[in-house]
Amino acid sequence: MGFFVRFWGVRGSIPTPGPRTRRYGGNTSCYEMRSDTTVLIFDAGTGLRELGLSLVRSPPPAGLELHLFLSHPHWDHIQGFPFFTPAYLPTTTIHVYGSEKNENYQLLSGQMANAYFPVAFKDLSARIVPRSFTGDVVQAGDFVVRRFDQRHPGGSSGFRVEREGRVVVFATDCELDQLLLDPAAARDRPDARRTLPASVLAPMRDADLLIADAQYTDEEYPKRVGWGHARANTVVDLALQAGVRQLALTHHDPMHSDRDVDAMVLTAVERVRAAGAELEVFGAREGVTLRLDRP
Amino acid sequence: MATRTQTIDDDAPQTMMNRLQAGFRPRPRRAHRLEQTAGPGSGARHELSADLLVIGRGSSADLRVESDDVSRMHARLQRLDDEYSIEDLDSRNGVFLNGLRVHAAVLRDGDTLQLGDTVFTYTEGA
Repeated sequence: MGFFVRFWGVRGSIPTPGPRTRRYGGNTSCYEMRSDTTVLIFDAGTGLRELGLSLVRSPPPAGLELHLFLSHPHWDHIQGFPFFTPAYLPTTTIHVYGSEKNENYQLLSGQMANAYFPVAFKDLSARIVPRSFTGDVVQAGDFVVRRFDQRHPGGSSGFRVEREGRVVVFATDCELDQLLLDPAAARDRPDARRTLPASVLAPMRDADLLIADAQYTDEEYPKRVGWGHARANTVVDLALQAGVRQLALTHHDPMHSDRDVDAMVLTAVERVRAAGAELEVFGAREGVTLRLDRP
Repeated sequence: MATRTQTIDDDAPQTMMNRLQAGFRPRPRRAHRLEQTAGPGSGARHELSADLLVIGRGSSADLRVESDDVSRMHARLQRLDDEYSIEDLDSRNGVFLNGLRVHAAVLRDGDTLQLGDTVFTYTEGA
């Protein structure tokens, strides 16, 4: 029973508190997926602090058992970890998933070196367990999680999460525009469908919900090529080609106000309408929970 | 005849304290509100003061809506850290936040909430 997705941090690059970003939120990358028995966390940006406070309000009697997946260890995806209250409780177990070398785990702990933070990683009371993917699939509680590679400076991972026939894909920090089959067409004819290779579409295929990095507008992107993020319109085309049902645009640019994000969502909705498709697009917003297991 | 001048030291602790006491006033509180903009009972305004209240058609609901589109216990409003959240209580027609079906959400100023044929606009208090 129950497949819930909650957005705790949807901002890219750096936290942006303040009135301009109050509605969508200013915390960096953090997403929770849960069932009645399992809690998965995707990314440990500053949104993780609020998630931690929520978790300790009503912890299970046996303590918290959490599964933490990191897309990659850039600051905006790990900065919340030193402020994650459950990590200070001896009754908590945190499984940290990474590649075979599990460099994410090393970098997560490295940010708590004395030069950066007063509390040492080794002094955290929780049991923190590095875990590696066997191949590209793990069973985490009652979820199956598949990892896939993405195009980002230094590399990043996307995750396809499955439970009882429902699928959510978490795909932040991927420069889709460098993977287009015909990049020149996207530049010369922005309205034309941007085609992505089958290997990129495969992990997204038929997802009920795709949470995807859509940091830039078409106009902004040319000055940010190689920074590792996608144009919102390209993400829409990806979702359309992959048969996705619902698309959450996320990793909002720190320069974008709530009104800017609204405008990007409206542009995306127009693009879907022009394609004659039924994809539902919205802007990921802090504090919103979706339920995936509705009929 | 010699004149005496008095100088005021702006940074003296006592002067600063007086200035702060003179300038500081607790701000008046403004209630969180829901205004019904569509559906039976449209135009009603509800000031939110309870920490927990239920919206629904049933007689035990705190904020009653006389609509068959609204479940008896449709949604729960909860205040935490002076922010209100809404949560769907497994209603038949769901809760839509600005057009998006949600299970739960922290509310922000200007949000619209649709429960069946009933629509509310939320005004954030302070």
